[in-house]
Amino acid sequence: MNSHATTAPRSWFKENILLGMNPTDYVKSLLTPFNAVCAFICMVGVPLLVYRFYAGLGATTNLSQTQPWGLWIGFDMMTGIALAAGGFTIGAAVEIFNLKEYHAIERPAILTGFLGYLIAVVGLIADLGKPWNMVGIFTYNGTRSVLFEVAWCVACYTTVLFLEFAVPMFEWLGLKRFYQPLRKALLALTVLSVMFSTMHQSALGSLFIIAPGKLYPLWWSQWIYAFFFITAIVAGISMVIVESAISHKVFHSQFEGRHVDASALTLGLGKAGAVVLFAYFFLKLQGVIDAHAWGYVKGFLGAWWLVEMLGFILLPALLYAYGARNRNVTVVRVAAAIAVVGIVVNRLNVSIVAWDYGNPNHYVPSWMEIWVSLTLVTLGVLAFRWIVNRMPVLHEPADLATAEH
Amino acid sequence: MTGHEFLSGYPAKLMEYALAVGYLILFIPFWRYVQGAKAAPKRVAVAVQAPARAAEPRGVMAWFHVPENVHLHPGHTWARMEEDGSVTVGLDDFAHKLVGRVAAVALPEPGARVAQGEVAARLGADSKTVGLLSPVDGTVVAVNRAAAEEPGRLEDPYGKGWLFRVKPPRFAANVRQLFSGAAAREWLEGASQALAARLSPQLGHVLQDGGTPVNGIARELDPEHWDEIARNFFRT
Repeated sequence: MNSHATTAPRSWFKENILLGMNPTDYVKSLLTPFNAVCAFICMVGVPLLVYRFYAGLGATTNLSQTQPWGLWIGFDMMTGIALAAGGFTIGAAVEIFNLKEYHAIERPAILTGFLGYLIAVVGLIADLGKPWNMVGIFTYNGTRSVLFEVAWCVACYTTVLFLEFAVPMFEWLGLKRFYQPLRKALLALTVLSVMFSTMHQSALGSLFIIAPGKLYPLWWSQWIYAFFFITAIVAGISMVIVESAISHKVFHSQFEGRHVDASALTLGLGKAGAVVLFAYFFLKLQGVIDAHAWGYVKGFLGAWWLVEMLGFILLPALLYAYGARNRNVTVVRVAAAIAVVGIVVNRLNVSIVAWDYGNPNHYVPSWMEIWVSLTLVTLGVLAFRWIVNRMPVLHEPADLATAEH
Repeated sequence: MTGHEFLSGYPAKLMEYALAVGYLILFIPFWRYVQGAKAAPKRVAVAVQAPARAAEPRGVMAWFHVPENVHLHPGHTWARMEEDGSVTVGLDDFAHKLVGRVAAVALPEPGARVAQGEVAARLGADSKTVGLLSPVDGTVVAVNRAAAEEPGRLEDPYGKGWLFRVKPPRFAANVRQLFSGAAAREWLEGASQALAARLSPQLGHVLQDGGTPVNGIARELDPEHWDEIARNFFRT
């Protein structure tokens, strides 16, 4: 009796946490060059994060009174949230538009989204400081503030993402009582995720509407909120393509015996990416005409804007189209990678490069800011790997797999 | 210079309209280019654009395989004349895919007499059995014990999954009641359409999405009464 009671949990731990290995074997399996690099990044980055809370923003960042937003807002928050849009994009495709063939990539997309939001929130807290004051956003009646909307939506959507992610987590823990109702609630959760995402993805852009003189006119538009929302969809689609390409390489053993035509899904997503990016290119041009800003296409920022427009919007649009038409998965993946870089470039342009362009002492992030951002991304990648290796994310749980085939 | 007055209102509006019209004109060829994916519409193309109803028969027909040299019985069994004059009997690909993996195969004993249109063998699964009609008259001379012991052999319905062999006294007359060649394909197409009509969303990717049929379609359709669906097609 007694031995049963003690061996059962230990074997569960061994199977589900140590992946069936002895503790020593498990630790040995972690000794890889990739993990060494990650460990180095985190060993420097995590103390830096702690140091920021101890010594303040002035000691760790190059932020100033004239440049209060830096890399942690521009990259961790603005870019992180956009790149995490795959969760709602694929969720909406599967649950709302009934494109069931994309079901196979719904869970990894949701997991990417959830981790992306967690990173963004940690980056935001690093920037804001005093995490205990976060409660204030729920009690403060700032309904006319865009930041208030962003804060509420990000908080609500992160909760929704957690509930969606809780399905594979509870399946892994074997808690049927919890995952059954959540599975049934997935449609409702998806509706909520689309609602919150539409609101805050665009609201992140709305933050810049009030600063027409501060943001270089080629990027500023009164429609910038629409641009942010559309690019979030592009980012969602492209990130899912990139993430599934990497997953197929890294976690190929998890795909054994499954009949998911990853190439077909990639090509379908590529088609969507082509159409959205093509329309976005023309909308951006419309924004420039609307802002009467053609005269700014000169000098360094004008040239850089052209690079973004032609290299990171039009080029991936055409590559997506070419890849989808010629059924060339590699071209679609290259297009997705360029589009992802393009989203990063766009968010950094809006929030850092072209921001406060008249200021002679232009902000350049400190090495500590860059290291903390790098640490957060590394932690996200490690968390993704840890979860995917254990929970039914890339593969379906046994009961669903048999029920559907 | 404010930078926001490079264009006066009217030229700016003109440019906006011109851009909008230009976009729409360019979008048409772009859309056609993206949509006109080249050849091989095996899974993706069908999955992305739901096929027209009229295109279905060829699609569903392609599910089921029928070799040239076999004669099909309306009860979804087949007969093939062998070089030694005996006739091999089996179940066709349609029947195999309809029932899927079976737990048991009951075959007649060697020496037993079978008659065309009468039950000669049985397939069992989930504590239910369905009969299979013999396509020909005759005396059983050999039985595929391997298939009876290992029903997985039915995966190859026209080869390793044969059921029994008979010595037929009147094969020429029997054959007139069977379908072969183009007629067999035409008849199977009709059966496929009848099956397609019964397929509902719970089958997911098998039909409209262009997927391959699952094994055990009847059990997918109705786990409780799959045997009735099978009997309906097997005429037993």
